Amino acid sequence: MADGRMPLEGVRVLDFSWFGAGPICAEHLATFGATVVRVESESHIDALRTVAPFAKGKTGYNVSGYFNNYNAGKLGLTLNMNTEKGRDLALKLAAWADVFLTNITPRVIERWGLTYDRLSQVNPGIIAAYQPMQGYDGPHRDFLGFGAVLTPITGYSHLSGFPNRPPFGLGTNYPDYVINPGHTLIAILAALRVRRKTGRGQRIECAQLESSVCPLGTAIFDYTANGRVQTRSGNGLPYASPHNAFRCRRLEGDPNDPAFERWIAIACFDDGEWRALVEAMGNPAWATDQKFATLEGRKANEAELEERINEWTSDKDAYALMRDLQARGVPAGVVQSAREMLDYDEHLKARGYYVYLDHPEAGRTAYDGPPFVMSKTPGKLRWPAPLLGEHTHQVCKEILGLSDEEIADLMVEQVLY
Amino acid sequence: MAESALGDVRVLDLAGEIGQYCTKLLADLGADVIKIEPPGGDPVRNLPPFYRDEAGPQRSLYWLNLNTSKRSVTLDLEKPEGRDLFRKLVTSADVVVESFEPGYLGGLGLGYADLAKIRPDVILTSITGFGQTGPHAHYKAPDIVGVATGGVMWLAGERADPPNVPPLRQGYASASIVAAAGTLMALYHRDAHGEGQHVDVSMQEALSIAQETAMQTWDMLQQLRTRTGSGGALPITIPGIGVYECKDGYVFGYVGTPGGAPWSELLQWMIEENAAEDLTQEPYHDICVNLNMRFLTGLMQDPSTIGEKIKNLGHINEVLKRFFATKGRWDLYENGQRRRLLIGIVSTPEDLAKNPQLQYRQWLTAVEHDDIGMTLQYPGPPYRFSETPWAIYRRPPGVGEHNAEVYCEELGVGRDELQRLSAAGVI
Repeated sequence: MADGRMPLEGVRVLDFSWFGAGPICAEHLATFGATVVRVESESHIDALRTVAPFAKGKTGYNVSGYFNNYNAGKLGLTLNMNTEKGRDLALKLAAWADVFLTNITPRVIERWGLTYDRLSQVNPGIIAAYQPMQGYDGPHRDFLGFGAVLTPITGYSHLSGFPNRPPFGLGTNYPDYVINPGHTLIAILAALRVRRKTGRGQRIECAQLESSVCPLGTAIFDYTANGRVQTRSGNGLPYASPHNAFRCRRLEGDPNDPAFERWIAIACFDDGEWRALVEAMGNPAWATDQKFATLEGRKANEAELEERINEWTSDKDAYALMRDLQARGVPAGVVQSAREMLDYDEHLKARGYYVYLDHPEAGRTAYDGPPFVMSKTPGKLRWPAPLLGEHTHQVCKEILGLSDEEIADLMVEQVLY
Repeated sequence: MAESALGDVRVLDLAGEIGQYCTKLLADLGADVIKIEPPGGDPVRNLPPFYRDEAGPQRSLYWLNLNTSKRSVTLDLEKPEGRDLFRKLVTSADVVVESFEPGYLGGLGLGYADLAKIRPDVILTSITGFGQTGPHAHYKAPDIVGVATGGVMWLAGERADPPNVPPLRQGYASASIVAAAGTLMALYHRDAHGEGQHVDVSMQEALSIAQETAMQTWDMLQQLRTRTGSGGALPITIPGIGVYECKDGYVFGYVGTPGGAPWSELLQWMIEENAAEDLTQEPYHDICVNLNMRFLTGLMQDPSTIGEKIKNLGHINEVLKRFFATKGRWDLYENGQRRRLLIGIVSTPEDLAKNPQLQYRQWLTAVEHDDIGMTLQYPGPPYRFSETPWAIYRRPPGVGEHNAEVYCEELGVGRDELQRLSAAGVI
């Protein structure tokens, strides 16, 4: 049983990343026991610290829920890389680290002297993971972007939504949160294993362009193998019908505000699931029409079918309907908003997915919990996101071995800044 | 070829659709992934799209892409002799990946506790819609149920439409990515301490963090983010931000935000192309050269002048739309980026296949298919290693292609016995 051991205890991570894709990856390393030093600078502030939501009535760099959710369990250091002493200290940290991680653009990384060649000179065994937007070579190497621009560039926007709508994407900077941090985490963990066996470090490049397109691989393969250009096709799936979201009874509130909408996703992959749905609907005459009896027939008449189902669901309570349909073996799930996930979802509560941490400035707030559950070495968000520079003194003293006097001087010189 | 990262790891892959990207990730890092299919073959082989649109067990492009670098054996876990063979396989396995309904394997005497008796340090990774515990653990959870309950669907779509299902089963992809990371975390621990464990992955939980700021916005402020579709994240039209139609498709602009060139650079481009119209004159010129985040913040804070400013911004946006409409998507992307303007092409799959950056980096990966007499261009690596390369180590296997190799040569089952098991429908 769990006794508090963590798999990455003793692993040292130098987190030179910002925004989403890098910090999330490093947070997962911290969640499973790594010592993570997150390097920031007031001269090069992580824009996420300046982006909403902010704790109620609070302002400043330390109260963004966006930033805080991705940086729990890290030590926060401020270091001004536009100074020579700052760059020297970065190399000292690299000598200490097992893993270096950055998603800062290649031009800046080269200017700061944080390339693998340089890092491996001071630490031959280091695992250096780079998450450039496009790669460290190639004709688009220096193209700009972050999640908002990456979503269209990598194909998500073109493939998302209904065909009569412009390609506006998924409403978020989608690849930033699971796809890119997740792939990078996999690469780092694989490299850590190799290093423990062979003593050898290496350079990892997880170009966000390449990482992001992998989960869209089938569409690219359909083009290279068949010459077909897939496009956005709404909520359907070729081998299920119905397969959509259906309106349920609204919550009380402004009838024009989508916040009070309720929807349920329902899908039938075979005739058995369809018959169970028909029974749940009380065997209405329309549903027993032969044209809906087979998947082929349902696909051919899908618009009519889904309109009928929508009429049936529109006055139902979404949660009662989900429970009823699932009990009958029909795949169904409430289209949950954050409100539903935090306040209504009994399942997430029972599993304890969301974690509440007390932050000195932002107060008690919710964090996404560990991304997977390990039976013997569970992850833990050990402390909330650091204040800007919260652990500068501690890191300088305990990791870099600087004296109080040296630290004070470096602060005055705006090196630790 | 250099040594692979996971060349010493054997994985038994019982996973359905939700987990096959996980085992592909492990296999393309060099793990010996043995896919265990029911005697009729993995049902995912029957899912479209198919090579040249003809169905067949070796022709589903969806399945092929998810099953690179794996070997295949057939095995009927419902039959006692099948379970005996599986137990034999487990003795040689480091990892078992599965996606059955929670409790199914336990009911067959093959749950984590049973497997640990055969191989004490085994790692079992279970990937399901809602995880192994909790009141919804037994819910049926195809991808759409995961993206619905996981919060990402709520944020996607036009207000007039139902919430949008993300394309190409992103719930499965996210669950698989998280599961591969969990498996490697467990391996790292096992290598040091000799202890295996059960890794429990929930698609719903894997997706939660992809709600961006929605969870924190509700938690901290009791304000709810909803789907805004083409309206984007901002309440008013800001020229240069959002999706624009161009001559042959779409581009996405994020001009004026930190990191990229200022709006004045875009105006300069329009002037050079004789497309600036009256934007060189006041009041438009002054707005264009100052159109940045600070301007926008000020705009929101001074309601007395907002009406006039919104009208002017609307006009600037119309001129910009006319400029973009005269140009192609690649032109706007590549030449815009050369000016350091934050403009992205809205890529189609064809654009990605022909993307100069991906081509330069040889991202598409050729795989020779001796089985259908073709070389196919597969989607390539999510990451590159300097020492232990990612690769498609072998083409996806035929149904049970490695039965003799695995059962006879590696487990020591006799050829006659193999034939008998085959006739009995065990393999």
